[in-house]
Amino acid sequence: MPTIIENSLIAPDIYRMRVKGIAQGAPGQFFMLRTSRGMDPFLPRPISICDATAEETTFVYRTVGKGTALLSAMREGDALLCGLPLGNGFPLCEGKAVLIGGGLGVAPLLYLAKRLQQTGVYTYAYVGYSGEPFLQEEYQGAAGEFHPKQGGYITDDVDFSLPATYYACGPEPMLKAAAKKARAAGAKLHVSVESRMACGTGACLGCVLPTAHGNRRVCKDGPVFDATELYFEDTL
Amino acid sequence: MTNRLETILCGVNMQNPVIAASGTFGFGDAYAAHFDPSRLGGISGKGLTLGGSVGNKGIRVWETPSGMLNSIGLENPGVAHFVKTECRRMRALGSAVICNLGGHSEVDYVEGARLLNDADMDILELNISCPNLKAGGMAFGMRAETAADITSKVKAVTRFPLFVKLTPNAGDIAGVARACEQAGADGLSLVNTFLGMAIDVEKRKAVFDNVYAGLSGPCIQPIALRMVHQVCRAVNIPVMGMGGIDDWQSALAFLMAGAAAVQIGAATFHDLLTMCDIIDGLQAYCEKEGLENISEIRGIV
Repeated sequence: MPTIIENSLIAPDIYRMRVKGIAQGAPGQFFMLRTSRGMDPFLPRPISICDATAEETTFVYRTVGKGTALLSAMREGDALLCGLPLGNGFPLCEGKAVLIGGGLGVAPLLYLAKRLQQTGVYTYAYVGYSGEPFLQEEYQGAAGEFHPKQGGYITDDVDFSLPATYYACGPEPMLKAAAKKARAAGAKLHVSVESRMACGTGACLGCVLPTAHGNRRVCKDGPVFDATELYFEDTL
Repeated sequence: MTNRLETILCGVNMQNPVIAASGTFGFGDAYAAHFDPSRLGGISGKGLTLGGSVGNKGIRVWETPSGMLNSIGLENPGVAHFVKTECRRMRALGSAVICNLGGHSEVDYVEGARLLNDADMDILELNISCPNLKAGGMAFGMRAETAADITSKVKAVTRFPLFVKLTPNAGDIAGVARACEQAGADGLSLVNTFLGMAIDVEKRKAVFDNVYAGLSGPCIQPIALRMVHQVCRAVNIPVMGMGGIDDWQSALAFLMAGAAAVQIGAATFHDLLTMCDIIDGLQAYCEKEGLENISEIRGIV
């Protein structure tokens, strides 16, 4: 049974939850976390993996509504209903990688940074915070170079001309800005996007996005997409 | 040992009366990583239209108290694709294969049903909640005459048992049910979603591009149960009952109200093992109550 071993406030409205007893997902994957045993809230919440080992999984989430507020009220020792890891995850790379994170997008990119570090990939992490920073210490340990920024546009700081693979996760305007710059520079960019979801498994078609290749499901075909597929000609 | 949950629906043998509802289970394999779909009595596939559809733009799902609104817009690969591909994948799962067909004109339905005669499937479920473009967008299922008309035309061409799926938005659902029975329906399934609405108060706008959307989940359960009860008393053909069923007790209530089988939809989104729990719960109930078959309690209320 998945059990919470920590659920603590790490910045205003930002919580870190560590859970044991669940399957180890890959960087970029997510879990549908049930926040209540009752019927309200009715749907589980998609929360990305911030870090994971065979023994435990870490989620970092922001309280935005009723579901995440209930999640934040859970305590050490409580059972968590969460099922299996979902979604496609980030494709890994060789050589060098540039990670661009904004807001809660810094969470899944940390797990990617750690995985890339293990495989000998040198990473440049550009992380933008609108409020109080979090996960800075973890990034300092996992990334080759760590460039935090408070306020402003993190994409302005990124050099897209490096011989590297680029990854971005964060608010949509940030992803679009990154996609525009990556396209201009001819850089390979993977973006991880958010969506409202009901099933999380590809069944309900509630989270589809129009792409260059027709409708794609964020939960099953994503949440990671090639930027050129998602932000094609007219959408940038 | 005999299977106490065995259910026969218009000659179609099912290992239990628990069926995944259309639109909530893809074409049967979306949950395969989480549980074995061959445990289910049947699977009603994603609703098809003759030429397929890309579905609606904008927000498609919205959580509500104990339920959800959806406005997917029948995104589907089309009938021909289903005949070639998805029905075979569904058949391989081992549960009864139910094909759900919608349409926006008489031609859509009749031609769709005709093409489906080449599919390997067990039951045709007719979604008559779609807007009829010729009738100003009013759904076929809203009135007894239009529901009966489309039922008889599809019945004339299909080689499969025909279940007509009724909309709870009709003024007199029992009247529509009787009209479909008289027009040749082999069975009925009900209820489809209730028309609802959500407003984003910060944006001062309707949440959905189509303004109104379909409400499902436990919040509709008592109304759906009442409608299933009324319809089961009005007709002599089998009924697949649905509408907010979320545990074995509520599934049992629909059977006691007269349904021959139940369909589970939104509850799978809340907890993807809901249908497995319902099957186990019904099995235990039959054993505890000494029922040889679950059908012994059908319609006892």
